[in-house]
Amino acid sequence: MFEPIGLALIVLLLPLSACLLAAFSSLTPLKKLAHVPLIVACGSAAVVALLLLLKVLDSGAGVPPSKPITWFAAGHLQARFTITVDALSAIMLAMITFVGTWIAVFAGGYMRGDKGFPRFFAVMGLFVFSMCGLVLANNFFVLVAFWEGVGLCSYLLVGYYFEKPSAAAAARKAFLYTRLGDTGFLLGIFLLWKLGGWHTDLNLLFDHIQRFQPDAWQLTLACLLLFCGAVGKSAQFPLYVWLPDAMEGPTPVSALIHAATMVTAGVYLLARCAPLFAMAPDAQIVVSWIGGITALLAAFIALAQTDLKRILAYSTVSQLGFMFMALGTSGTISPAFAVTAAMFHLFTHAFFKALLFLAAGSVMHSMGGVIDVRQFGGLRKVMPTTHLTFLCGALALAGFPLLSGFWSKDLILESLLAAVDTESHYTAGYFTLFLVACVTAFLTAFYTFRAYFLTFWGPEKIPHEAGHHAHESTRSMTIPLLILAAGALSVGIVLEPFTHWFSDFLGSAPSLMQARGRTPAKDVAHHFNWIIASVSVVLALGGIGVAFALYRNGGAERAPAGMAKVFELSRKKLYVDEIYGAALVKPVEVLAFLARVFDGFLDALARLISTIPRFIGGWVRPIQNGLVQFYALSMALGVAVFLTFVVFRITR
Amino acid sequence: MSIYAVIRVLVLLLVLLPLLSAVVVPVFGRCARRVSLILALVHLGITAAVVVVAVVAIGERNAGKVANPTAPTELQFRPEFVPGDSAAHIGSDATDARTTWTLFSLSNKQTRPGTPGPNVQFYIGIDGLNVWLVALASLMLIPVILVSWESVKEKPGAFFGWLFLLQAGIIGAFLSFDVILFYIFFELTLIPAFFLIGKWGMGSGRRDAARKFFLYTLAGSLLTLVGVIGVVLTNPNADGTITFSIPQLMVNVQEGLQNAHQKALAGDGADLAAKHATQFWLFLALMAGFMVKVPIWPFHTWLPSAYGEAPTGVTVMLSALMAKLGAFGILRLVLPLVPDASILYGLPVIGGFAAFGIIYAALCAYASKDIKLVIAYSSVSHLGFLVLALFAFNKEGLSGAVLHMVNHGLSTGAMFASLAFLVDRYRTTEISKFGGLMGRFPGFALLFFVLCLASVGLPGLNNFVSEMLMMAGLFDARNAGASRLWPAVVAAVGIFLSAWYTFTLLQRVFFNASKEPEPVLPQAPVPGVNRREFCAIGSLATVCLLLGLFPQILLDTMKPDVRTLSIIGDSARARVGGVPYVYVDDEPKPTALPAPIPINKGGDEKGKDKGKAPPKKGGNKKEQKAEDE
Repeated sequence: MFEPIGLALIVLLLPLSACLLAAFSSLTPLKKLAHVPLIVACGSAAVVALLLLLKVLDSGAGVPPSKPITWFAAGHLQARFTITVDALSAIMLAMITFVGTWIAVFAGGYMRGDKGFPRFFAVMGLFVFSMCGLVLANNFFVLVAFWEGVGLCSYLLVGYYFEKPSAAAAARKAFLYTRLGDTGFLLGIFLLWKLGGWHTDLNLLFDHIQRFQPDAWQLTLACLLLFCGAVGKSAQFPLYVWLPDAMEGPTPVSALIHAATMVTAGVYLLARCAPLFAMAPDAQIVVSWIGGITALLAAFIALAQTDLKRILAYSTVSQLGFMFMALGTSGTISPAFAVTAAMFHLFTHAFFKALLFLAAGSVMHSMGGVIDVRQFGGLRKVMPTTHLTFLCGALALAGFPLLSGFWSKDLILESLLAAVDTESHYTAGYFTLFLVACVTAFLTAFYTFRAYFLTFWGPEKIPHEAGHHAHESTRSMTIPLLILAAGALSVGIVLEPFTHWFSDFLGSAPSLMQARGRTPAKDVAHHFNWIIASVSVVLALGGIGVAFALYRNGGAERAPAGMAKVFELSRKKLYVDEIYGAALVKPVEVLAFLARVFDGFLDALARLISTIPRFIGGWVRPIQNGLVQFYALSMALGVAVFLTFVVFRITR
Repeated sequence: MSIYAVIRVLVLLLVLLPLLSAVVVPVFGRCARRVSLILALVHLGITAAVVVVAVVAIGERNAGKVANPTAPTELQFRPEFVPGDSAAHIGSDATDARTTWTLFSLSNKQTRPGTPGPNVQFYIGIDGLNVWLVALASLMLIPVILVSWESVKEKPGAFFGWLFLLQAGIIGAFLSFDVILFYIFFELTLIPAFFLIGKWGMGSGRRDAARKFFLYTLAGSLLTLVGVIGVVLTNPNADGTITFSIPQLMVNVQEGLQNAHQKALAGDGADLAAKHATQFWLFLALMAGFMVKVPIWPFHTWLPSAYGEAPTGVTVMLSALMAKLGAFGILRLVLPLVPDASILYGLPVIGGFAAFGIIYAALCAYASKDIKLVIAYSSVSHLGFLVLALFAFNKEGLSGAVLHMVNHGLSTGAMFASLAFLVDRYRTTEISKFGGLMGRFPGFALLFFVLCLASVGLPGLNNFVSEMLMMAGLFDARNAGASRLWPAVVAAVGIFLSAWYTFTLLQRVFFNASKEPEPVLPQAPVPGVNRREFCAIGSLATVCLLLGLFPQILLDTMKPDVRTLSIIGDSARARVGGVPYVYVDDEPKPTALPAPIPINKGGDEKGKDKGKAPPKKGGNKKEQKAEDE
């Protein structure tokens, strides 16, 4: 029971029971306590996950996957329920349950009095369950099951306010865009199944592929198809457009699902499949480039947005792009280093981004649901705790020296720079990506502090929706903020730069060792790189400084001199939604309409054919005129014609 | 009385009880619906008993080792619990899976009972392929009766009588192991369906829809009759007599083909070529009826109007069960009796139509303005996928397809059944008239959501499992003409499109501000889901969930028959490819962790690469071709 696998199962089942309890509570008068099971379950799951982390740390090499239980099997296809516990999944598990607990506490206050209170917590429980399952899965079909499970929860929670047309549209959009990526993901899994000796268990499949290396281009194709799934789920270019819209959901949802956990599933997938990706450098450069393009694009769009939550959403997209940039270097440099960089950023990002979202939620709560930065300002005095914690999160995100985001972003820059210094074909590409990352880091600092100054500085401005009682949020909401702020400040410095705990622990994951085995990758020593550090300090401080200069007195519409056109382009999100609508959605809709019209035409054709017998019948009906003499005559004529024919035939 | 003898009687009752009910129910008039519900529950009980015993019996057979799995005598379906079993004496469990019950004989000589002669026999039985479909047919009648409870006001006795006749025809066709008997039951379903649509239909176009449905399917299935007779005539027994028994026909087909194959390998290919030419025409004739019944694009146009006009309960029967008859016909007749043609023309020709239909019907579903039509077109789209998987003709594809017949029947049937909720209250299912039903009817929304999620193949619900298996079948592209992955890609796009139209439907109907049309009873407040409706649909939704989580029992039951079919398919592939057929027992052993298999295993031994020297890197090469084209 207290073996690692048993502990993992406990972690998995706790949120599920919370989900069932919350759902059940909606039938009882205990409706108002629907948040309690989730908080308790997540809290205890976090403790168990921490215990599990220590166990894995003890066991060193990692634990063998659990005994498989067949889900379905026929012919060569065997989908089996089996889970794996290693450094990678243990870290994710601890992060999900810890952040999840505090978000659940926050949500208990934030959602109070809402009509669908039990529904919200039931789906949140289901989400935490699915997310833990996703992380633990050791079989591709089990992984897909939980992968779709988190997608479903995201759909249900984005569409939580179902009466709102915008929420309804956003929910559908979120589901369909991720599903589009999943189409590729599924094809990729089946291609791997075919290449990998009909295995579907991750460890066996990777092992097989490493031993019997398939053609490079096939593996590349399979990896790219898997990456499609990650692109959808982790909101990368070109499928990122769903994530900003997903902010229609309640803010705790944005914090948990659309910042800290679900959207990082793609990064986790690639980290888990590092043994494959490390063998496919052609796929890796694509991963890096998609990450780079996304990071820059999203950061650019975030510059001029006015919706506080959407700024944060674009920032999430951009930061996920950072993680993919680092992942894409694995194989060129040591997979352990690249994956550590990405995962460390994922880890710190979960803290500071969840914090930022919750703080934004706190603002939104006290502003009566208004989230447009143009309508409020100068909230420093009104909401001191929220202000302080938001500032912590913003500094961490901007990469302010010594805070968590600074360390993890440095690792990413370092991995990119290390990739330049190799024999790879793509060194020029990696160098360009390094520059992209630097520009993006500057933009990040700028838009984050633009949002911060617009919200908390300048003259005090409170929208009338807030009523007379705009005030700091209740304690159940501020305590999670403080805890997460502490995390955002400290996890970076405690875990990595001096102790190397994170990288040593993660590097011990069996899959990363496995990935290491096959690649001619360059080893990268973990050392503090002064050049990168100073570059990133300059970028961070520069961004903050520019934001201070422009926005310390409010005025969201103010654009830097001479850049009004650029500003406008950023505000309009580069017209990407409009372009997709005109180039893809509309044509398919027209095609659907045409198909429907054509179907009527096909039906008419079938009807036309069915009239032929009647037509022929009408034509020959006069022959059946009931006159015996006519029948006799025609019979005689027929015999005569036949005889004539026979006679001619014989005599010829 | 042994348990086998009891079950034989129960199997007979599976067909006879609905026939009997069809006669009895109309007598009751007023309380017909209550009587029908009781009869349907009795039938479900009988089915449950049969299924439990059949699962055990087939499990035992599964454990047995077959000495020579490629011998023609092994390559036949082996029905269990055949009523009138020729080897069974009272009190003995012996069976030879043949029946003595002759309906009529085409020869005036008295044949010894049990020997295959020119006799049309009442030959029914249970095997791994039909057992779950029979269970589905038995189960679905209960929600059908429940959702028709209030809505059928006019002559309910006759309505339920016809329903029972329809069920009898469907179950009879599933159970038949005699080609003529199969055909009789297959056609028998048309008569009740015609009256049910034409007389109790919802719209003004019901008579027209019934007529179109009747004539369209009849036209197709008459050609199937020609094919059936052709198969019987071209595959006589060794002594020259003809047979109508499907297992015996399979043996004859295999013997003829294996002899011709031997000759062809020795250099004389004329025999095999002649057989292939015959099979081509027989394949076309047999497929004609089944293509209309499934339906496969472009023979689907009877479907939207028939589903749309029929009363809700009948639509459930049509979509859940009757559409499966076409696919089942392919499984029971086409694949085993004309295997070489199925390999040659299955995926490339029929598969092409089916693949086009997947996309086309999905687009039509999106553009439809009525919920009923959206589900009707989605049905066409999903069944296209099923047909593709059938013609992939390998273990994964066949298991997936059989499972999908059950799963699709359940989820689509349940979706149509749940529409009765709206029909009873508003007498319309037009999409634009509804909105925000999530707030208005949370219970109904929950049920409908679960069914929609099942239909789009969300993991944990039933359709996911069968879709994954079918997809695997398409990836195992051993078929001669389909050494590429296009069907798999089309199928994947189809899965995405199904999410697209389904979630668009959900958004329009269940989200946004509340909107509802004029209710049937304008004064009273419109009630939410009542207990009757909740039982009808909730039970189906629960079965969907259970089948999604524990599908393996179904797959285990169909395993022996799927293996038989897959050997037939593999040997046909070898014949088409002109290479000798070598049987490889490549099934992963369920106990130990499977040892990694080298990549080049992939089934080259089965000779899929046309006449080439044994390829060195089969798996990879095939792929390469796939991508090159």
